[in-house]
Amino acid sequence: MTPAVEVRNISKSYGKINALDDVSFSITPGEVFGLIGPDGAGKTTMFRILCTLLLPSSGTASVEGYDTVRQLTEIRRRVGYMPGKFSLYQDLTVEENLNFFATLFGTTVEDGYESIKAIYSQIERFRHRKAGALSGGMKQKLALSCALVHRPSVLFLDEPTTGVDPVSRKEFWEMLSVLKERGITIVASTPYLDEVRRCDRVAFLHQGKLMGIDTPQKVLSDFADIFNPPAIEHSKQNISNENVIEVSHLVKAFGTFRAVDDISFSVRRGEIFGFLGANGAGKTTAMHMLTGLNQPTSGTGIVAGYDIRTEYEEIKKHIGYMSQKFSLYEDLTVKENIRLFAGIYGMKEQDIRHKTAELLERLQFAAHKDDLVASLPLGWKQKLAFSVSIFHDPDIVFLDEPTGGVDPATRRQFWELIYEAASRGITVFVTTHYMDEAEYCDRISIMVDGKISAIGTPDELKQEFRQPDIDHVFTYLARQATRSSD
Amino acid sequence: MKQFISFVIKEAKHIVRDKRTMLILFGMPIMMMLIFGFAISTDVKNVRTVIVVSQIDHLTQAVVERLSASEYFEIVAVVSVPKEAEQMIRNQKADMAVVFADDFASKHTGMQFIVDGADPNMARQWINYATSVILNHGGGLVNAKMLYNPQMKSAYNFVPAIMGMLLMLICAMMTSISIVREKEKGTMEVLLVSPVRPLMVIIAKAIPYLVLAFFILIVILLMARFVLAVPLQGSLLLILAVSVIYILLALSLGLLISNIAQTQLVALLMSAMVLLMPVVMLSGMMFPVESMPEILQWISALMPPRYYIDAMRKLMIMGVGMGAIMKEMLILLGMTALFLTIALVKFNKRME
Repeated sequence: MTPAVEVRNISKSYGKINALDDVSFSITPGEVFGLIGPDGAGKTTMFRILCTLLLPSSGTASVEGYDTVRQLTEIRRRVGYMPGKFSLYQDLTVEENLNFFATLFGTTVEDGYESIKAIYSQIERFRHRKAGALSGGMKQKLALSCALVHRPSVLFLDEPTTGVDPVSRKEFWEMLSVLKERGITIVASTPYLDEVRRCDRVAFLHQGKLMGIDTPQKVLSDFADIFNPPAIEHSKQNISNENVIEVSHLVKAFGTFRAVDDISFSVRRGEIFGFLGANGAGKTTAMHMLTGLNQPTSGTGIVAGYDIRTEYEEIKKHIGYMSQKFSLYEDLTVKENIRLFAGIYGMKEQDIRHKTAELLERLQFAAHKDDLVASLPLGWKQKLAFSVSIFHDPDIVFLDEPTGGVDPATRRQFWELIYEAASRGITVFVTTHYMDEAEYCDRISIMVDGKISAIGTPDELKQEFRQPDIDHVFTYLARQATRSSD
Repeated sequence: MKQFISFVIKEAKHIVRDKRTMLILFGMPIMMMLIFGFAISTDVKNVRTVIVVSQIDHLTQAVVERLSASEYFEIVAVVSVPKEAEQMIRNQKADMAVVFADDFASKHTGMQFIVDGADPNMARQWINYATSVILNHGGGLVNAKMLYNPQMKSAYNFVPAIMGMLLMLICAMMTSISIVREKEKGTMEVLLVSPVRPLMVIIAKAIPYLVLAFFILIVILLMARFVLAVPLQGSLLLILAVSVIYILLALSLGLLISNIAQTQLVALLMSAMVLLMPVVMLSGMMFPVESMPEILQWISALMPPRYYIDAMRKLMIMGVGMGAIMKEMLILLGMTALFLTIALVKFNKRME
């Protein structure tokens, strides 16, 4: 039997960088095959070579027996591909997107409907909505429908669920198992361990090299230091009784839509507070109100001793903020970034010099202080961005999905930084889609449909809802959402 | 074919749904026509003139009357010494002075113009006008007659130039941006992995802009004819035919840019800086090619809009036939073929 994908000694280099270094593996038809590894391991390059988008520097690859270099038309007819970035037309409606991709592959939605029914039926009622107005989870479903409408025999999915909440991710992988039953070969990359476990086999790439290829259990235990790092010790002694965030009956309405619907909670100084919720539950809106970027429609809030409605300029001086989308200037060096943000917060020249040296030492970045941020691995950027956001010793730091797209070991290092900041008395307010990270928090809240439906320590919540872990608690609560995935 | 049509429809939807861009695309030509047609005018009108004469006699009187009778000049003062007139010009009270020599009446000669030369082009025009007005008097030594544009209206000159500029802008800039946008958003990856031939993707992208450019061309022509009263002397068919060649040329340049640019910003800057600026400066739109230094004239010869603007001037204003614009048409066709070939050959069916 011809293997669905056959990779022989593939190398690919961009200038001096080796994105892939002598990688070989083969995938049998009907297999769900995972490509895992940290950011920059070469996963996307591998997908692009297999999809005939890139030429390998050396080695050969074939898909369904067709060579990726010479027989590109044959391959392009047989594969479905979802690139890492969301790749639909935001200004076209759901239906228009689907129709367009169907025609592109020489078929019609009617012909291909059977193969996408399971997925498309979930979003079909939004078919007149613009793709840009869909939630993360629904976008992924639409993108998958578009990639499947021509009934491909091999499906390439490059991190299809990054930035998608746990419930939508579960649904997405349930769909993939339906496709597997139909005999479609699936090659997917993912940073989530629960998704890795759903693969038949996984290949672990690291810095362009194939480190191991086997069943998920085997790979995860062989590389346990990377995928399953030991838990971090964390003492809660530093938490004081003083409330540093106090919110009551906060509402943000856009027209008739209440994005944040009457939430009340408080966070104590030195606490690590996890702010969880599905895509579109209202997390980002709530966070914007707390950081003074957005005015509440009604309700009151005190952050670091200042009123969020009137004293937002003061609040901005006393908080740090790091988001996944914006963190650092990629075209400035490490040192220049630190200097810039310190300057923005009006720190003294002498303090800046002293603290910069100390920070570079602590992060072991001293050798890279004059490197452009763009050239650093994602995990390093995130650590640096976090360190920069607390450089001016704020009372509170807000982290909006700070660890998207990196492996568990790198995330664990990131959390060591968070714990360190908390031990210095900085309150940490963090949103995340990783449920293992939720367990690291002192207290968490879970938002559903704009309301906080659970709040407490991770252990309290597990007991209250009688679930084995936070992942199950979250799924249990988020499934009760009535708001139509926004 | 069905794929092609659905592609064109998709592209058209992108354009139509982007209301702001549409507004700019149609608003800009109208604005530019109105501004160039009415506000920015190089027409000579009401030039404030000072007469310098020590003693008025019948001969000087006749010249002065002739000047003030024409709509081009307005006599603001009569002074006796040139110094005074010069001072008036320096004080921005007058634009030019006509100085008569003391013995003008007896010798029938001895006249001097003092002109505010801050804008040399206008200064030269005033002198020309004044000379012809004055000379017309004493027995008509020279009789100048303006062919094609007897009233010397500047709109006649600007309309073809605006057409050359706008069509280039819309086609090259919009096409390159729309292709590069797909690269940026990652949709190009999906399109490339589909069985559709990459060339079709590109051509389908250009079609809606071709149609759009054609619409805008019609709008400009209608405005030129009915608002600015610029005649369309030549055959309309020929005007449209040359314009379509030019639009295709601009589209090919847009495709070429989209091959090189990786971000929308780069595409925008390349079309604006690399295409538009030299076009405006060197194609003879603003500054006459004939008065440029030789090296710039050579560079100007490489500017496609130059030939289009020339051809349009000949067709619209002079009303010549096909034969007279053969050279321009052939050059435009040649350039189109060249750029289109480069763009299509260079088009990458894989990623870099």
